[in-house]
Amino acid sequence: MSLKLHGFPLSTCTRRVAVVAKEKNVPYELVVVDLLKGEQKSAAFLAKQPFGQVPYIDDEGFELFESRAISRYIATKWADQGTPLIPADLKAQSLFEQAASIEQNDFDIFASGYCAEKVFNPRKGIPTNEERAAWLLKTLEAKLDVYDQILGKQKYLAGNVRPLTSFAYHILIMAVCARRLQEITLADLFHLPYGALLIQLGQDLFSPRPNVSRLVAAQMLSSGLIVDWIVSNFKVVE
Amino acid sequence: MVLRRLLGPNGLTHHLPSLDHHHPPHNMVLKIYGVSWSTCTRRVALIAKEKNVPYELVELDLAKGDNKTPAYLAKQPFAETPYIDDDGFVLFESRAIGRYIATKWAAQGTPLIPTDVKALALFEQAASIELTSFDGYAVRYAVEKIFNPQKGIATNEDRAAEYLKTIENKLDVYDQILGKQKYLAGDELSLADLFHLPGGYILVKLGKDVFDPRPNVSRWWNEISSRHSWQAVKESA
Repeated sequence: MSLKLHGFPLSTCTRRVAVVAKEKNVPYELVVVDLLKGEQKSAAFLAKQPFGQVPYIDDEGFELFESRAISRYIATKWADQGTPLIPADLKAQSLFEQAASIEQNDFDIFASGYCAEKVFNPRKGIPTNEERAAWLLKTLEAKLDVYDQILGKQKYLAGNVRPLTSFAYHILIMAVCARRLQEITLADLFHLPYGALLIQLGQDLFSPRPNVSRLVAAQMLSSGLIVDWIVSNFKVVE
Repeated sequence: MVLRRLLGPNGLTHHLPSLDHHHPPHNMVLKIYGVSWSTCTRRVALIAKEKNVPYELVELDLAKGDNKTPAYLAKQPFAETPYIDDDGFVLFESRAIGRYIATKWAAQGTPLIPTDVKALALFEQAASIELTSFDGYAVRYAVEKIFNPQKGIATNEDRAAEYLKTIENKLDVYDQILGKQKYLAGDELSLADLFHLPGGYILVKLGKDVFDPRPNVSRWWNEISSRHSWQAVKESA
């Protein structure tokens, strides 16, 4: 198996990469880095990932870390198989980049901060700062209210209409009918690991927001059928 | 196709193929709706300068709530700045805008995003590091020391110190990386390096020059911060 994923089964960032690999039908071998024993701080590990964090990949000698960078690499190298996850057209790609940036600045910062307070810190012997946790949750909820507005107008975070690259084809489509292609992208999938963890912590922020709830990721979280749902339900909406 | 000549504010002319010769000529200058002294607006202006892309800055008055009007929220629903309007194409999130400019105008100015699959992946790794290991902490530090007091909220000195310590630990790792390669993504400059400038500059202005004590980081920081593009916008976009 060419792709080795060095990570920890429970780690959000490791699972982020795994979801994308599965979505692209890319087999991988999980090489467990034992976080509970502090393996990520060993000299051998730091030689591969100098920040001492999981995961990193080894793709036939090519090493890469940062889960979103790895995800993008998988989505690009294996672009021709599995679900397309990064649009090729400049404008559609830019809307994807906008969505990916939203995920980091308006979701991940607050979701991961909350999970750190409630789960990761206590595991390290640091008590939960309840005031901070409450502030993070409240801020995340305000952001998801904006998501709900956005997702009332489009199916996925990166958008609606995919501008077509060929000018002639564009004219043909415009002349015949308004054709709407609504595509899932990496930006939606990136939300899954912390989204799932929030739900496990009893913070289902998705169900109260009708459009967010409808989002593929939220539906998959509540049904637990992540990969199967994506594979069987991805289609062109006419 | 009809060739249409564009005159940007610098007097540069660009020849672009017309997409539809039935449309009347547009004002083709990139419009940035932002705040001239804000980090995110300057991040976009920086990339535009590096790519020799002329732009018009439409200055927003946040104190008057320009970012909270229904018209604004229709463009940027998070009420944040900046957003761009490129001949009708609206985009927000400063790094997405930076990527758009670097890609659309790839053929001019400094190349800022590699095309080779592996080089691109290493660029994405560096871009991710900038967000997860630097900017978040630099911004949070600035919030504690500058933006909160401006809003009448007292600085949480413990938290500020914690953020600074995290930045310093991360930059120790940067120092290792930059001892082996010239820039964060490899030996070529990329967006990932430039994205650090607004946040890093705040730290320097606050008297926390976290770059100087680390020889490789210092070398890198001096190089990127002395570029004409940053010098042009570092105080105002």
